[in-house]
Amino acid sequence: MSVDTTAAAAGRSPAPADTEGVVAMFRRVLEVDEVSADSDFFLLGGDSLVATRVLSAVARTYGVELTFADFLDAPTPKRLAAKIAAAR
Amino acid sequence: MTGPDTPLAADTPGPSGGVTSAVVVGAGYAGLTAATALAARGVDVTVLEARDRVGGRAHGLQVSADGWADAGAAYLGDRHTELHALIAELDLKATPTTMDGASRFALGSEASTRDGRFPPLNAVALGDLFERLDDLTATVRPDAPWLTPGAGELDLLTAREWAERHLTHPDARLFFPLFLGEMMAADPARVSMLHVAFYLRSGGGLRYLNAFEGGAQQDRIDGGAHQVCERLAARLGPRVRLGEPVLAVHQDDEGVTVRSARGAYRADVAVMALPPLLADAVDYRPGLPVRRASDRTARGCAVKVHLVYPAPWWRDHGLSGWSVNAEGPLLSTVDDSPAGAGVGVLTGFVTGAEAHRYAALDPREQRSTAVEQATRLFPMLPEPVGFHVTDWVNDPYSKGCYAALFGPGDWLRHGPTLTEPHLRVHWAGTETSTEFFGLLEGAVRSGRRVAAEVLARP
Repeated sequence: MSVDTTAAAAGRSPAPADTEGVVAMFRRVLEVDEVSADSDFFLLGGDSLVATRVLSAVARTYGVELTFADFLDAPTPKRLAAKIAAAR
Repeated sequence: MTGPDTPLAADTPGPSGGVTSAVVVGAGYAGLTAATALAARGVDVTVLEARDRVGGRAHGLQVSADGWADAGAAYLGDRHTELHALIAELDLKATPTTMDGASRFALGSEASTRDGRFPPLNAVALGDLFERLDDLTATVRPDAPWLTPGAGELDLLTAREWAERHLTHPDARLFFPLFLGEMMAADPARVSMLHVAFYLRSGGGLRYLNAFEGGAQQDRIDGGAHQVCERLAARLGPRVRLGEPVLAVHQDDEGVTVRSARGAYRADVAVMALPPLLADAVDYRPGLPVRRASDRTARGCAVKVHLVYPAPWWRDHGLSGWSVNAEGPLLSTVDDSPAGAGVGVLTGFVTGAEAHRYAALDPREQRSTAVEQATRLFPMLPEPVGFHVTDWVNDPYSKGCYAALFGPGDWLRHGPTLTEPHLRVHWAGTETSTEFFGLLEGAVRSGRRVAAEVLARP
């Protein structure tokens, strides 16, 4: 991926928040394949540094800026997708 | 007759090639690893060390009757396999770094307490920074960074210029120099951005290098990292000569003469196990085709401050001892209390440009500013019972720590000949290892690599 070629940067409308999209983000930043809708980010080996990369990807893809506290509160793809949907 | 307790005894096969003698310059992790491997194969080894101690950038600091802290290199992780094998072989053990509890942050406003290690800064802005760094790191050719696509441009850019170009959010701009200071003791104005990307790649990536648990700072060596060198040196015995700063390395068709301040040593080959700035200062004849460092190669900018307390009292208040601070001198602090030794040790890192400033202060001012800052971060602390400053920046026999920082153009200039022998002179040291560059593990790997290289000579 590249930071510059994003929906937000290109002025396209952001994608709808979907659990599968967040699953893909978890897979990319954690470099593990075994991620499901209910996988806990921190149990998969994630830490705060990697979590910020998900938040960066969420902002680029969905146009929603979440906080670190939001992430701690919703550390699974399903719950994070719900948080993104609620914030839009 | 020799047993397994005397692994250096010459009951192993003799040298495979033509090399029967070697002078190793530098008794740090790299030099002693190399010397041990060569001696085990029957090579007549002499190790010349400038200081009156072995260890190089690993140095023990006694903080209580039976407690030691690391004045220099300290940490290791599971991926540091060669180092783990070495400490097991030497009957040493790893002890986990203690990070339980909340962190303290002083990043602009009043000091605040937060769970975990995440600073009170904009998470998306920091995420953008880490995504950019990760993208860049992924492009690096880890075995040959000078062949990275776009290396020409990236190596000429300083980290500061890169940040000015790519970081827009004030939180990312605030955090980036702190991150580089903590991670690689770098002043962004002096280090090449290719070097930053390479360093992150070489160490196992952003996340591994940054992490304590599950990362490069997971463990320390129980009793201090210096013990590895002390034990290797004890096995090598009189082969290791202290107080022998090497001035010249002259070669002819028959061998090499290594001249120190105290004498001259003749051998088939020399192994220079020194940081590049020191290796570059030696007089070589014939001269080196490519220098070991340039006037842009910078010293790693680290001053380590140890504050010793009767006990790690921050733990009683739910704090880990970890802090990150925008203002110096202590840009970060970490709990370095030796396991089971009673005392509490708070280690402060003074890194980057701040290290030069702090190193120039008089000792009283160094103490008062550091103690005052520690007490502001951890108000439960009394006056420390011990206070130690280790200035690696101005140390004449290290010229910087954690490791040399390749400046603009250095990788393009020096990369291709980093490990290329100069006739009978071979190169070791953590800065010659493209794997775990700058870390203890890189030093050990360079020592193994150079020993194999010497033994393979015709």
